[in-house]
Amino acid sequence: MRPLALAAIVATATISPLAAQGSTAELLGQAHEFYERLEVERALPLLRQIVSPNWPFEVTREQRVEAYKYLGACLTLAGKRDSAVLFFRAAIERDPFTELDPNLFTPAQLATFGEAQRRTFAVAVRPVASARVDPRTARVTFTVVATHAALVDVKLSAVGTGPRQSLFQGTMDGVREITWDGLFSDRRLAPQGRYALAVAGRSRLTGTSDSARVYFDLRHEVAPLEDTLPALDRGALLPERISPEAARRDVAKGLGVAGAALVIAGAANGDLGGGERGGAVVVAATAAVTGVVAFLVGRGHGAIPQNIVANARRRAERDSANASVRGRNAGRIAATVLLVSPAAGEGPGP
Amino acid sequence: MIVAAAILGGAAPAGAQRALTVAPLVSLVEHRVDAGFGVERSLGPIVGAVGTLRVGPRLEAAVRAVGGRLIGSTGVLDRDVGELGVEASVVTVPWLALQAGAARRAYSTKLGRQTWTLVSLGGTARMAFAGDAIHSVWRAGLLPAVSASGLRGPDTAFRAATGLEYRVRTTTLCVEYSLERYDFPAEAGVRRLEQVSAVTLLLELRLR
Repeated sequence: MRPLALAAIVATATISPLAAQGSTAELLGQAHEFYERLEVERALPLLRQIVSPNWPFEVTREQRVEAYKYLGACLTLAGKRDSAVLFFRAAIERDPFTELDPNLFTPAQLATFGEAQRRTFAVAVRPVASARVDPRTARVTFTVVATHAALVDVKLSAVGTGPRQSLFQGTMDGVREITWDGLFSDRRLAPQGRYALAVAGRSRLTGTSDSARVYFDLRHEVAPLEDTLPALDRGALLPERISPEAARRDVAKGLGVAGAALVIAGAANGDLGGGERGGAVVVAATAAVTGVVAFLVGRGHGAIPQNIVANARRRAERDSANASVRGRNAGRIAATVLLVSPAAGEGPGP
Repeated sequence: MIVAAAILGGAAPAGAQRALTVAPLVSLVEHRVDAGFGVERSLGPIVGAVGTLRVGPRLEAAVRAVGGRLIGSTGVLDRDVGELGVEASVVTVPWLALQAGAARRAYSTKLGRQTWTLVSLGGTARMAFAGDAIHSVWRAGLLPAVSASGLRGPDTAFRAATGLEYRVRTTTLCVEYSLERYDFPAEAGVRRLEQVSAVTLLLELRLR
């Protein structure tokens, strides 16, 4: 007998959560079928089992809300309005987005549910769905709810830093969709990071307050940007002034050409009596004078106009190229797409 | 004279970006020949032009045509001279270009006509003065294949030149001294020597 008991315990302990959920879902399904056949007295025990603390299987929040909702509906049909209101309220408290479909529920049930909504105040915001949003043509959408008429304030803020951006402030009753263009009040695109959407409300019926918060991550999808051209260093620019050393080298170059002319003339065949030595002397003198003049000009003036012009042209070309790069980059940044994804953390606000 | 025109033909500035240039030139040329009857000297101006086409960032092709009359010294016949040549130039490093070319030259006197065919290999170095507006030019070349009608080829044939280039915007003025020397082998105890020297002014104009 003891081994059998042990086996039973082990078997019970190893029931998978899926099976447990299956049991809850199965029971919820049976209750739903009884309700559809108006066998309310048979549905009620099943629903009560699900919401009972003694129910051994896992119950998801959605299943619990569904159970409370149908408990309220069944009790309304059974004429137990006060109890029905209590269960409807339990459903609303757990999920303020809970509602009854007018096509599926009776006016009495709807009225009872309305009473529960009036007596329960809660605000909530749906978890942000993953989305790819082009701020130029689309908006990020948030869904918030207030169970009855309330003054609601919806604020968006980057987690940890940054100012809060008010997305909505006013009276609302029920579900409302709030859009965001991805910009902050300074008209700049919201930077990448984690954001919190906080909803705070004060009931206009009861004066009670409630709040909720949801987190999401925001990323930018932008085409790769081009690098601008680096600043022109000394190696990329021509000297704009003649250095004293260069001026001295000009003398050497002039004298070098002069000497070369005389050497070439000296290479003439001696048997032919030389070769137009006078011409060589003329070129040599021209070169020597050129060297000396270049030296004097370099020492006295120093500026190299054509290099200054060439450098200015190079700088202008670089500036123009960089302006083009910046223009293209600005276009790419302007075409940034926002990637929204849900982040961990939701529930009542602080 | 002809040496100057030949050398200048392949001499576009290494760093220039021009595609097509035309360079009219004028030279004062002295031609000396010793064919065993003493030195014959003739001197005179020649004119001509060099057209250069840059066909790539490092490659140029040039065509030159020059002609003129050399006046003989006492007892020496005057002679007309003309030359047509082509040359290719490759820029190896910014300051050095290598050239190869060929030319056909003709001397003509009232007694006869002599034609030369010249093949040349050489190089041109340019060094800028401070400011880049002035360049010194140094040229040297060998003439490994020379044929002249009625003569055997020379034992020694070379050319050398030096000068300056002054650049103002798209125009370049060149002044240059050049020497071309040919030493022929002795025949029947007579050694023929020939030499052409010139001072050349060339104005290079960039067309496009």
